[in-house]
Amino acid sequence: MNIENLPQMTRFEVDEQPHIIVNKEICRACDHHACVKACPANCYTYDEATQLLSVVYETCLECGTCHIICDKGSLEWNYPRGGYGVCYRLT
Amino acid sequence: MAKYFDVIIVGAGPAGSLAALKLARGGANVCLLERGKYPGAKNMFGGLLHNTPVLNEILPDFHERAPLERHVYRKSISFMTPRAAVALDFENETFDKPPFNGYTVFRPAFDMWLAEEAVKAGALLSCECTAEDLIKKDGRIAGVTVKGREGEIRGNIVIAADGVLSFLAKKAGLRQDFKAENMGVGIKLLLGFPEETINERFHLVRDQGADISFLGAMGDMRGGGFLYTNRESISIGLVTHLDSLKASGKAPYEVLNDFLEHPSVKKLVKGGTPLEYSAHLIPEGGYKAIPNLFTGGLMLAGDAAGLCYTNGLNLEGINLAMTSGALAGETAIDALKAGDYSAKILSSYKKKLDESFVMKDMKTFKNAAAMMHLERLFRTYPRILANIMERVYKTDGVPRSKLLRLARKEALKEAGLKGLISDGFKIGRSLL
Ligand SMILES: Cc1cc2nc3c(=O)[nH]c(=O)nc-3n(C[C@H](O)[C@H](O)[C@H](O)COP(=O)(O)OP(=O)(O)OC[C@H]3O[C@@H](n4cnc5c(N)ncnc54)[C@H](O)[C@@H]3O)c2cc1C
Ligand code: SF4
Ligand code: SF4
Repeated sequence: MNIENLPQMTRFEVDEQPHIIVNKEICRACDHHACVKACPANCYTYDEATQLLSVVYETCLECGTCHIICDKGSLEWNYPRGGYGVCYRLT
Repeated sequence: MAKYFDVIIVGAGPAGSLAALKLARGGANVCLLERGKYPGAKNMFGGLLHNTPVLNEILPDFHERAPLERHVYRKSISFMTPRAAVALDFENETFDKPPFNGYTVFRPAFDMWLAEEAVKAGALLSCECTAEDLIKKDGRIAGVTVKGREGEIRGNIVIAADGVLSFLAKKAGLRQDFKAENMGVGIKLLLGFPEETINERFHLVRDQGADISFLGAMGDMRGGGFLYTNRESISIGLVTHLDSLKASGKAPYEVLNDFLEHPSVKKLVKGGTPLEYSAHLIPEGGYKAIPNLFTGGLMLAGDAAGLCYTNGLNLEGINLAMTSGALAGETAIDALKAGDYSAKILSSYKKKLDESFVMKDMKTFKNAAAMMHLERLFRTYPRILANIMERVYKTDGVPRSKLLRLARKEALKEAGLKGLISDGFKIGRSLL
């Protein structure tokens, strides 16, 4: 399975409002960036050159892994607005 | 939409819908809020709807009407090392006759069906509604605020059936922050196949299904794999503790891909068409991590109440969710009759749970949560078993040992006497 194909497998109703907001300063100082590897949907990227963490909230599966694994309080994590976000069909 | 209800239920998962059914049938004015586009849109699980007395009682004909995939006939557990697997297979004639022991289901289909049953009974279902906060009045919970369009919804009682992350339980002060070691994450890939291929590969006929658990083969992670057969697809995935996932430094889908390449898994999933990929958390803290279950005007049910357990052999949640939902509904009916929504009257919910199999099973396996943290359970023991089997079957001119002697030697080599005693004690306390 190629995680890059996620949008072809799973349906998302994308909201223009992000439901995850990262605090770039806290993430810059983070010593593990565990969210990057742990996210089952590969939503996080840490750019070593710019030392910036970015999140692609559009393909978030709303599992909550990052919300619990981040121990630095960097994430403002909410559910997307009603009806938006991941929309499982089968599973 | 009316803004005042007898009972507001947050979350149209199995817990919420059973609570709504119970209440609506009892004549209460109930509202069921769901943040998804439809019930089930946000929900995934491994795949097994266990036989649940309360479901049989409330919807005796659900076998004929609910969207079910296959009834589980074959159960297997496979102990894996990177190159080998030792499997234990269990087939039982009684699993092949009604009332079946369990069915594989798709959550978006099943949850939607269950919520519609509550609607038929008179509950008001409101989708695309995310409850954001609790309204407090006179020292008790008296409603919820809804993100965006709906504003406030008030009621005498709120049942938070909002799943594993239950923000409402946190807002009510009923639970602490989560610990990574008390939480598991499951990921799952749904692979499509023609029905005949599944029947042939898993030796099934008609709508018989298979349920296979895999222990080991998750690299350095504490976790296991699962496989369930649906009518025309296979659900395959893995579950791991979040602290272990973090420590491993691996991405869950990479571990899943390695798992799919394991020789004994590869042949089962060969040629499947990827249909959907999903991820969800599981409360794995067990009995000790159960939050406070009620306060004035509020009860927690299902995953929100931490009612889910795994002991390596069973993973049960949906049955505990439906049962706790129904008991919360029953308690609310009594409270409405008495016109009293205080913590005192709602405390009978806890009593009802304690008397049911829900809390009894949570207690029985209260040590299993700790057992599931034994690293050796996932790496060393599968390897010991595989090594023993290899020595049993391998013919290479090396003189053979008797089975027991072989087992002792392998176990001592891999885990050491101290390790064996300590693990034996923990596993024994958890399962025996
Ligand atoms: C990978 C995996 C495999 C599993 N396998 C099995 C299995 O094979 N058998 C088994 O019995 N159990 C299994 N479980 C556990 C089982 O899925 C859960 O215990 C069960 O779904 C709990 O039901 P629930 O109704 O409490 O919560 P959920 O099913 O999570 O339902 C909660 C509902 O509330 C909604 N919601 C949440 N917050 C809000 C809000 N603020 N406002 C409005 N709506 C909200 C959600 O959208 C959701 O519909 C598994 C779990 C996982 C993750
Ligand atoms: S979100 Fe948390 S874990 Fe991820 S980089 Fe930022 S601080 Fe670290
Ligand atoms: S909630 Fe889950 S899928 Fe979404 S960003 Fe966090 S870890 Fe990734």
